[in-house]
Amino acid sequence: MKQHKSFSILLSIILVMVIFIAGCSSNSSTTDNESSNENDTSNSEEEQVTINLGFYSGGESDEKMQELIDGFMEKHPEIKVTTQSAPYGQFFQKLDTQIAAGEAPDIWLSDGVLVMKYAERGAVKDLTEWVNRDLNKEEYYGLEFNEDTNGKYWGVPQGIQIGALYYNKDLFDQAGVDYPNEDWTWEDLKEVAAKLTIDASDKKPGDEGFNSDNIKQFGLTFFSITEGWFPVLKSYGGGILNDSLNKSIINSDENKQALEWMVDGMSRGIITDPADLKSFQSSMAVFPSGSAAMRIGIYARVLAANEAGLNYDVTVLPKGPDGERFSPVIANSWVINDSTSDKKAKAAWEWIKYWATEDEVQKEWAALGEAVPVKKSVANSEVFLNASDKPENREAFLESFDFAGTLDTNAVWSEWVAKFNEHAQRAFLKESTIDEALENADKDIQEIVDEFYKE
Amino acid sequence: MKVERNFFSAKAIGYLIITVSALIMVMPFVTALFNSLKTYAEFTAVPPRWIPELFQWSNYAEVFKLGNFLDYTANSFLVTFLSVLGALLSCSMVGFAFARLKFPLKNILFVMVLGTMMIPPVVIIIPHFMIFKQMNLLDTLTPLWLLECLAQPFGIFLMRQAFMSIPKEYEESAKLDGCNPFQTYWRIFMPMVRPSLATVAIFTFMTKWNEILAPSIYLTSNEKFTLPIGILSLSGQWFGNEQYMVAAALMSLIPILIVFLFAERYFVSNFTNSGIK
Repeated sequence: MKQHKSFSILLSIILVMVIFIAGCSSNSSTTDNESSNENDTSNSEEEQVTINLGFYSGGESDEKMQELIDGFMEKHPEIKVTTQSAPYGQFFQKLDTQIAAGEAPDIWLSDGVLVMKYAERGAVKDLTEWVNRDLNKEEYYGLEFNEDTNGKYWGVPQGIQIGALYYNKDLFDQAGVDYPNEDWTWEDLKEVAAKLTIDASDKKPGDEGFNSDNIKQFGLTFFSITEGWFPVLKSYGGGILNDSLNKSIINSDENKQALEWMVDGMSRGIITDPADLKSFQSSMAVFPSGSAAMRIGIYARVLAANEAGLNYDVTVLPKGPDGERFSPVIANSWVINDSTSDKKAKAAWEWIKYWATEDEVQKEWAALGEAVPVKKSVANSEVFLNASDKPENREAFLESFDFAGTLDTNAVWSEWVAKFNEHAQRAFLKESTIDEALENADKDIQEIVDEFYKE
Repeated sequence: MKVERNFFSAKAIGYLIITVSALIMVMPFVTALFNSLKTYAEFTAVPPRWIPELFQWSNYAEVFKLGNFLDYTANSFLVTFLSVLGALLSCSMVGFAFARLKFPLKNILFVMVLGTMMIPPVVIIIPHFMIFKQMNLLDTLTPLWLLECLAQPFGIFLMRQAFMSIPKEYEESAKLDGCNPFQTYWRIFMPMVRPSLATVAIFTFMTKWNEILAPSIYLTSNEKFTLPIGILSLSGQWFGNEQYMVAAALMSLIPILIVFLFAERYFVSNFTNSGIK
C-alpha cells in the first residue's frame, strides 16, 4: 500500500511538472504569435512591427550584434527586433527545415555562397528595386556579388571576405628570400616556395636525399575551393561555370595547366596535399602554426594569425601566365524572407539600410575584425586600415576588389563543389590523371547543374 | 611450483595488457585536458607540444564569458532529467505490456514498433517540426523531452526482453495475492529489472546530454540553448576558439562521469537475484 501511494505521488508530481512546463512555454509563444499577428493586420503607421532576425552565432560577435540591434530599435521605435541564432553549422540545416515549414525568420544572415541557393528556390525576396532606390552603389563594396545573371539583387552584404596572399615574414627571413610582391606570377610563387620548403631532416627540394613525403615546413598551404584551387584556375584563365552559371567549362586547357601547376607543387612537397593536411589539427592551422610560409587566405584568417602571434603580412594574389589576376570573394549577406508580409519586409529593409549606410554601425562591426566593411568610406578609413598592427598591408585586401569575383555561386553550389573536390582530390593524390579528373568533374558537374536548371 | 609461476606470468601479462590499453584509452582525455589549457598559438603549434608551457586556467573562465554557460547547463539538466524519467516510465510500461499482457495484434504491433527503428531520423525532422509548430512549442525545451516520454522503440525492446526473462511463477503468485496487472508491474516486476532500467536511463541520459540535431532545430533563442549547442556557438564562422571549445566540452563531460559512476553498480549487478527461492 505504501509503495502504491508513493507511486501515485510520483506520478502526480511528474504530471504537474509536465503541465507546468508545457504551459509556461506554450503561453509565452502564443502571446508572441498573437502580438505579431496584430501587427500584421493593423494598418496604423504607429503600430509596432516585430521582425525576427536570424543569424549564426559566433562567440564575441553575438554581443556586438545585440548592441547594434538595440541601437536600431532606439532609432526605429516602431520596429521591434527579435532574434534567433544557432551555431554556424546548424544554422543552415535548421533554416532548411524552417523554410519547408514556413517558419523561417523574416530576415536572416546568409553565407555568401548560399544566397543564390535561396534566391533561385524562391525563398528570399528580390531586393533590386529597393537597392536601386536606397543605396548608392558606388559607395559599397560587393553589392554586385549578390547580383544574379539577370541583374537582380538578392541580398545586401553584411561583411566581405576577399582573398589575398599571406606570408610568414620570419620564415622568409630565415631562408633569406625576398618577400612576395605584386608582380609575382604563380610560377614565381612556386620557385620561392621551393626555397621555403624543408623536410624532416632539414633538406630542401633539390638537395640530395630530400624526402617529399616527410615535410616539416611547406612553401604554400593550400586547401578548399576559396583558399585553394579556385583562384588559381581563374587566374590561369580557366574556371568552373560559364557566365550564365549553367554550363560547365571545366574540361579546358587553362584548367589543365593550372591543375598541373598544383599537382607538380604537391608531388614535390612544396604545397600541402590533402594527405599532408590530415596530419594537422585542422587544415586551417597549418599557416598560423608556422608550418607553411605562405597561404591563400580570406580576410578573416587575420584573426587566427594574430591570435597565434605570427610575424606576417599580406599582398595581392599572384598573376596567371597571361597576367590575369583573380581574388575570390564571399559576401555574407542579409536576405529577406520571400513569404514575409510587406510590412515586415519593409521593416527588415530598414535594418539592412541601417546596417549598410550608417558609418557608426559599420565601424562597430569592423572593430571585430571578422570582415572587410561593406561601406567603402569605412573600409578606406583608419578603422579598417589600422585595425591591428598586423597585417601591415591591409590595402592589399581593398586593392583585390579590382579583380575580385564570386565562386561561381549558383543554386547548386554546395553540390558541385563537393563533386569537384572529390575529383580534384584524386588528381592531387595521384589516384587519377589530371585529364581524367577534369573529364569526370566536367561530366558530373554538368549533370548536377542540369538537374536543377533543366526543369 | 612451475604451474604457479606460469600462472603468475600469465597474470602479469594480463595486467600489462590491461594497463597499456587503459593508458591508450585515457590518452585522448589527457590530451584534451592539456589542449584546453593552451593558448591558441600553442594549440596550433607544430610539432605539437603535449604539455603546455604555461597552464591557461583562464580558458575555463573565458568559456563562461563567451556564452550563458550556466543557462545552457541548466537547460541541459532539465531536458535530460525529464527525458530519463519519461523514458523509464513509458518504456517500462509498454515493454511490460508487450511481454506480459495479452491483447489483439500484439506481435504485429511489436514488429511495427521495431520497424520504426529503421526510419532514419532525418526523414522525420520536418513532420516533427510541423507538429511542434502546431502545438506552439517551438523555441521551448518541451519538444526535446516530450518525445522521450512517448516510449522510444529501443527502450521498449530492451524492457520487453527484461520482463520476458522473469519466470511466470512471480506473476501467478502476485495474482494470488490480489495484485492487478498494474500492481504486478509496479511492485513486483519493476524492482527486478533494475539493471535494464539503468541501461535505459544511461542511454537516454547520454543521447539527450549530447544531442545536437533536435535542439539546434527547435531552439532559436540563445538563452534556451542546451550545452552542446552552446559549446558549438562558442566558435564563429571564421575563427574556432578551439581551446575554449575543448575546455567547455570537458566541463560538459563531468555530469556524464558522475552519472556513470553512480549507475555503474547497476551495470555490474545482474539477474542473480531474480531466481525462484
